[in-house]
Amino acid sequence: MSPLILKLILHSTWQTLEMVVASTALSVILGLPLALFMIATGPQGLYRLPFAARLMGMVVDAVRAVPFIILLVLLIPVTRFIAGTSLGTEAAIVPLSIAGIPYFARIAEMALREVDSGLVDAVRAMGGTRMTIIRSVLIAEALPGLVTGVTVTLITMVGASAMAGVIGAGGLGDLAIRYGYQRFNTTVMFGVVVVLIIMVSLMQVLGNSLARWLKH
Amino acid sequence: MNPILDIQHVTHSFGQHTALQDISFSVKQGEVVGLIGRSGAGKSTLLRCLCALERPQQGHILLDGVDLTTQPERQLVRIRRRIGLVFQHFNLLTSRTVAGNIALPLQIAGCPRKEQAARIAELLDLVGLKGFEKKYPSQLSGGQKQRVGIARALAANPTLLLCDEATSALDPESTNSILNLLADINRKLGLTIVLITHEMDVVRRFAQRILVLDHGRLVEDGTLLDFLRDGQNNRTLQTLLADIRPSLPTFLTGTLADTPQQGPHKTIIRLVLSGDSASAPLFSELSAQFGVQAALLQGGVTTVGEHLSGDMILSLKGDRTEQALSHLKMAAQNMEILGYVPSHS
Repeated sequence: MSPLILKLILHSTWQTLEMVVASTALSVILGLPLALFMIATGPQGLYRLPFAARLMGMVVDAVRAVPFIILLVLLIPVTRFIAGTSLGTEAAIVPLSIAGIPYFARIAEMALREVDSGLVDAVRAMGGTRMTIIRSVLIAEALPGLVTGVTVTLITMVGASAMAGVIGAGGLGDLAIRYGYQRFNTTVMFGVVVVLIIMVSLMQVLGNSLARWLKH
Repeated sequence: MNPILDIQHVTHSFGQHTALQDISFSVKQGEVVGLIGRSGAGKSTLLRCLCALERPQQGHILLDGVDLTTQPERQLVRIRRRIGLVFQHFNLLTSRTVAGNIALPLQIAGCPRKEQAARIAELLDLVGLKGFEKKYPSQLSGGQKQRVGIARALAANPTLLLCDEATSALDPESTNSILNLLADINRKLGLTIVLITHEMDVVRRFAQRILVLDHGRLVEDGTLLDFLRDGQNNRTLQTLLADIRPSLPTFLTGTLADTPQQGPHKTIIRLVLSGDSASAPLFSELSAQFGVQAALLQGGVTTVGEHLSGDMILSLKGDRTEQALSHLKMAAQNMEILGYVPSHS
């Protein structure tokens, strides 16, 4: 493998990591409150507002229903408004996050729903405020499940970032399409696949061990 | 002295179903009260009302003079901190260590971090789990988890300890040790305890007073001895008591007749004794005074609360059985003739 190709792959790997880590971070930061909102306003929640819960659920599902490649194009004006440009790696973080937020929110919602309602009752009976319950019971008890959700989101973002080449975001997927497919460069294609396999495996292994460690 | 807990005419229903109907009772400081009823009797609803998680539709619940039914939610949050709750399924946070679990009510009450450690050590010592601070609930047995649950319930110095089927998920050995621990806590701290259960055997051990709930109504309020003495015609009581009372040996049930047979026969009786009469030399008295041979078929004498209490089935044989029976009727708390069997059996 020539040093030039190696440099290309390294550069694209860095771009992919940048997109994946940034968009996953944003998905968690904004998706977790969204999940908590859906749980808390739900029928058995701490702040019962069934209408709000249903509305939020519909919005989440609507975003999830749009295929990412279409969302990418559809969101170009939004991306331009937020990032100042609609092209490049940084710009791709906007549509990736917008797809990732409802994705992680649904996964986090499932993890939070698994928390034994007896624990919520116990802390409520202890005189805990709703904030205490959210922090010390819901989030703390669902943490292993949430970590697993972060792992799944990271890996999904790796897949989605491959499509970001459409808006000139670069990254491994873009490299594989332009060099591996359009220029018939099998070496690059092969190299990209190997890097992706290693990247995803590492994320899964790290995510699993962190979740297991948290599970006491 | 004012009662620590005063329940006045509490009624609560879910839609068409009335869960609690006109419940009134009060609990004195330091008292241990057993609240017993079959499943669906309204125990859980009453418990949720007592710990201010549910607001009854009618009636008043006064805890230390404060009416829980009229307080706004913000006040209720503060009041709940003064009620310790022990759960059937422990409800410990799996994400926290033993120390972390006990610390939670202290954190909620805003206790400084430095004092927390000392209080946790003190509580673990009390429940017999010294040195368990760093363990996680998943590393503990059921009995140990419940000890942590009790320590957690006591952490914020509650005025009232509510135990909801606290021993129902435990094996007999752990049940024993948990009940002993609760009795110990009541003695040492003078803490008022309300035990909610469906098992008579649990309340029998140390409840000073027993309340019986049936179909949302409070049907009985008394001591176990009261129930044994006067409960003959009360079906609810009889079903609850059946678990702990001696029952007629099966080999006798076939030959038992309501009226005395011709020829030699034995009289089968049930006898309830308490206090002095339970420790009296009953058998030698019967033999010396009436020449009656008495044999113990089932049951015996146990300690209920701090008193001796006897509940037994005897067979009596002799010419002066009639006199012996009228003597027993005077001496015992309750005497009931179950029937007669031919002498050879």
